[in-house]
This record gives sequence, structure tokens and C-alpha cells, in this order.
Amino acid sequence: MPGATATVGYSRLMARIERLINLVAALLETPRPLTADEIRERIHGYGDEPTSEAFRRAFERDKQELREMGVPIETVATDPFADQADGYIIPKGRYYLPEMELAPDEVAALRIAAESVLGGGDQASSGLLKLSMDAALTPSPGPRLVWGADVAANEPMLASMFAAVTASRVVRFGYVDAHGEGSSRTIEPYRLVHKRGHWYVVGRDIAREDVRSFKLSRIHADVEILPERFRIPDSFDPSSYLGGEAWEIGEETSTASIRFFPPMQWWPEQNMPQAEISENPDGTVEVRTPVANLDALVSWALGFGEAVEIMEPEDAGRRLLAHIEPFLGARR
Amino acid sequence: MTQQGRLGKRLGRILLLIPYAIRNPGVTVDELCERFDVARDEILRDLDLVFMCGLPGYGPGDLIDVAIEEDRVYIEMADYFSAPLRLTPAEGLTLYSGAAALAALPGMEQADALRRALGKLGAALGQEGPGEVAVEIERGPAGHLETIEDALRRQRRIRLEYLSSTTGELGEREIDPWGLVTALGRWYLVAYDHSVGDERMFRSDRIKSAVVGKEAADRPKGFDPERYRGAFVGDSGQVMTMDISPDAARWFTDYYPVRSDRELRGGWHRIELMAGGERWAATLLLRLGRDVRNVKPESFMHAATELAQRVNSVYG
Repeated sequence: MPGATATVGYSRLMARIERLINLVAALLETPRPLTADEIRERIHGYGDEPTSEAFRRAFERDKQELREMGVPIETVATDPFADQADGYIIPKGRYYLPEMELAPDEVAALRIAAESVLGGGDQASSGLLKLSMDAALTPSPGPRLVWGADVAANEPMLASMFAAVTASRVVRFGYVDAHGEGSSRTIEPYRLVHKRGHWYVVGRDIAREDVRSFKLSRIHADVEILPERFRIPDSFDPSSYLGGEAWEIGEETSTASIRFFPPMQWWPEQNMPQAEISENPDGTVEVRTPVANLDALVSWALGFGEAVEIMEPEDAGRRLLAHIEPFLGARR
Repeated sequence: MTQQGRLGKRLGRILLLIPYAIRNPGVTVDELCERFDVARDEILRDLDLVFMCGLPGYGPGDLIDVAIEEDRVYIEMADYFSAPLRLTPAEGLTLYSGAAALAALPGMEQADALRRALGKLGAALGQEGPGEVAVEIERGPAGHLETIEDALRRQRRIRLEYLSSTTGELGEREIDPWGLVTALGRWYLVAYDHSVGDERMFRSDRIKSAVVGKEAADRPKGFDPERYRGAFVGDSGQVMTMDISPDAARWFTDYYPVRSDRELRGGWHRIELMAGGERWAATLLLRLGRDVRNVKPESFMHAATELAQRVNSVYG
């Protein structure tokens, strides 16, 4: 009978939640760490476990569940002479959300942000609930502007990298570069950047003695946070790692000259505010802009098809023709 | 949802429900339902459960006191639960990056409040200076975005001059705006396109001009931007298969919504995806160059060959 099973499952679920709430309450209020034996004897819900092995398993599962939710259960020695950490406690200072004193319009702004996040909506709404404990529920007036922001904050490595960035701690991780080469990297992580839909960490690669950006989705093993700390040098300029097209980042620096033909001649004016733009008598538009990665420039130009011509550097034009050569040959 | 997921979700809710009721004595059950987005009987069962919890001893002085009087909820004897659990890194980062993305948009009305909130949120997450996390949305034409936001607020139709990615041609569209979505660092307008009688997504940089019309615009009830994640709705609906090289396979799935991906001998991958029209497919194929082969249907390969010849003649 599926109904009966569901009911049994439900009451077991509720019994476990009850036990977990009792555990959190006891570990928050206890003046000194509690040993596993004390937890078994005193906390309601554990006494039902028939053997100490069954208790041990249940307690392990509970600790893991709570830690995954972010409940900071610490293991400490119950007396100074003990040679192992045998006591459990939840330090209040690490459990409670610090007072943030958000103004009403700040809470409202965060509500819009939470509603805008695509993928990760549950995380955003439980986060917002925590931040708006004392704020009134204000319905949004009139037709609301609907925004959806895909910020991919569920990237698995993001949380540990964020922790390293905010604590100014050196990290080590396994990384696969754009050519498929895998290596272990040790970096001083300066900043997290979300750019063109992907997360990057910008930092100084210690072995290579250079500031580089690493795509988080290319980190294939756990991020290990090391004890060493670092300072971000004053000369670090975050803006040089932000924004821009892919062809602006690289080592092949020169100046590109790009021609736009109708019906695309309006495009640079609206979309390339930094570039030097001039109109030719024949109605085409010429754009001059610094470039640093010619292959990326070729790929970008191909996106416009026959409406764009790379005039300079000549090497880029040659690479473009070589790139599409397989398609030209197919006709022969 | 798995048993595990249900447990975590419910426990998380109850651990928030308790501080909320403690901080707002006399809150109605209805308000709790609305705030926690759950049905009334669920909230009542949560409160029943809280009533059974407390501190070791579990006598009258140790249990949490829950009272419901005339539909108003009072929770006492649980000072240790009067503040919520701090943000998890996932909660904090999701909110932070969502707020940073919105603050980066041009013409955002709440930009100032968002920036102040970001400062406080960053500090709560352990950030010492400002801007250790940066979210960049390609700026795109700010003027168009303001026009579109204005039309969305007033629910008016928009006339667009738009460069189609399906045909590569500039054309006029008459649209009812539904909402805005960011994907891969760009913003897109989701709208009903009267000229084709269907919903479409319009990429910011392809909009040549946007003018707010006088006609009222409709937005479907319960419009959910989540559906437009990845920004590939309203395409031609034609399936495309191709083999891509090991080099291309390393980045391809990061940028294109692939329906299936199977590794072949030699490290090549057989990819299946929805093509956004012939022109779109041709552009993609030219970009892949030598990293693609075995393209189906044949018509996409023809389109790529023709486009390659037109590009070639530009350089001729």
C-alpha cells in the first residue's frame, strides 16, 4: 500500500527533523562541548537507537546533514589533557547571521536580485529570507520589470574559491588549460570575475610569476586552501581583466582596422564605444581598435559573415581565409 | 525530490521559521505561508513539530513554547533561535552575483540601493574590500535598454529594427516585450513577435533601433524568465549533428546548448544541438573551421560553403 509507506516515511522524516532541531538547540546552548555519550544520553531522539553502533551511524549522518546546511558544528577536546577532539559544540558567533542593518530599499533591491537569478532560485530565496527577517513583505507596485540574470553561481568550485579570495589565502588546484594540458597550479587569488557567462579567478601564478585568469569550469580537482596569506600589490589593475571582447586579451598586441559593410554599418557606433570609428564616402564604416589575440579576432569577425572585413593586421586576414579554406575546397 | 533533499529543505525552513516568529510576535499563519511559500497545513505541521523541541531535560521549562491564538503565532522560550543561521556560501554568492549583475546594467533604477546592499552583503560574507567579486554584463546599447525597460513598465508595444541571426538581414519587428534575460554576459529581450506570431529572443547588440509604441502589450500570466536560460528559445527547431575535434570539444559545450554529446574514437565528439536557422548554422561552422566534419543535414553544409564564398570574395 503506497499510501501507508508514504505515511511511515513522513513520520520518520519529521522525527529526524525533530531530533536535528534538538541537537542544534543543545549544541548552541551548552556552556561546554558535549561528548558523543552525553549526546546519546541527553538529547531527545537518540535514546531510541538500540545499539551504540546504530547511534554512531545516526549521529554521523546528522552531523553531515547539518554541516551541509552550513551549521558550524565544531569538534574540540573536552578537557585540556585529552589527546583527541571528543566534544561537540556550535559556537554562537559562527552560527548566527551577523546584523547587517539593511535599509528597506536595500532589502527591496536584493529581493529583485533574488527573483532575477536564473538557476539557483532556491538558494537566492532562502538567502533572502535570512536577510529580510525584520522587513515587511511589500508587494511590488504595478507591472514589474522582469529580469533574469544567469550568473551561474552554482558552479561547484565557486564557494571554496570565494572563501580563499576573501581570506587572502593561497590556493592549489588541478587545472586543464585551453589546449587540454593538465597541471597543478598554486596561485594567490586576487579576484573572482563573472565574464561572458563564466566565472574566472584572477590571481598570481606563483611558479609562473605572472598574474593570469583561470576559468573555474577548467578546475578539475578540489581547491585546496593553503595556510599562506598574501597581499594584493598596489599595481594590480582589476579593470584589465574585466569586460571586453575575447580578442582584447592576449599577447599578440597590435592595432586592428576593421571595415563594416551595410547593413551592419551602424553596429560599431552602438557596440564599440572605445573604438575609433570613421565613415567612408562609400557608406562603409572603418573601426580602429587595439587587439591582442588574432585568432579570437578572426572568430569574432566570422560572426558577421560577409559584412565585415579585417583590413589590418594583414596576418589576421590571412588567418581568416585559411580558417574557412575547408569550406571553399568543398565546392571543388 | 529525494528524501535527503526534502529533509534539508524542511529543516532549513523550520530553522528560519522559529527566528522569524520570535522576532515578529503575533505574525499570522497566512503571512508565514506567504513568506515561506508553503501551504497552511505544512506550516501548522512545522509549528506542531517545533512545539515538541527544546533543550535536554525536555520539561515544561525546557521546551519551546508555541502558541496559536486567533490565527496569530507566538514562539517563546527559544532565545537561542532568535537569529537565523548565517548565509551559506551558495546563498551568499547567488544573491551577491545576482545583485552585482543587476547593478552592472545600464539604467537600473535600483542601482544605488543594490550597490549599498552589495557592500553590506560582501562584508557579511567576509569580504574586506569592495569588489573582490565582479560580475560583468556586456554593456550593449544603453539607450535601447532604457527604452525597453520603459515599455516593460508601461506595458507598451515596441517597434524594433533588428538584425536577424537566422537570415543575417535587417528587418522591422513589432513586439510585445515580456522581460529581459542575461546569458553568456549579454542581455536579451524576450518578447512576442507579431510579425512571426510567436515568441522570440532578441540579442541586445543586434537591435539597431527601438521605439515605444502607443498600443498596449500583453505579457502572459506567470511569465518565467527561468525558461529562457541559455537564451535559445524560438529557434528554427531544426536538429543539427556534427563531429567536432578534441580541441573544440573542450570549449564547445560551455557556449552552446548541446542536446547530446558522445565521444568517438580519436577524441572527436559527436554533437547534437538545435540550430537557430541556416545562417546561424553556417556562421557556427565557419567559426569551427577544421574542427568540424560530418555535418548533417546537408543543407547546413551548403549554407556554410556559400557563406565562405561570400566572405572570401570580400577579401578577394
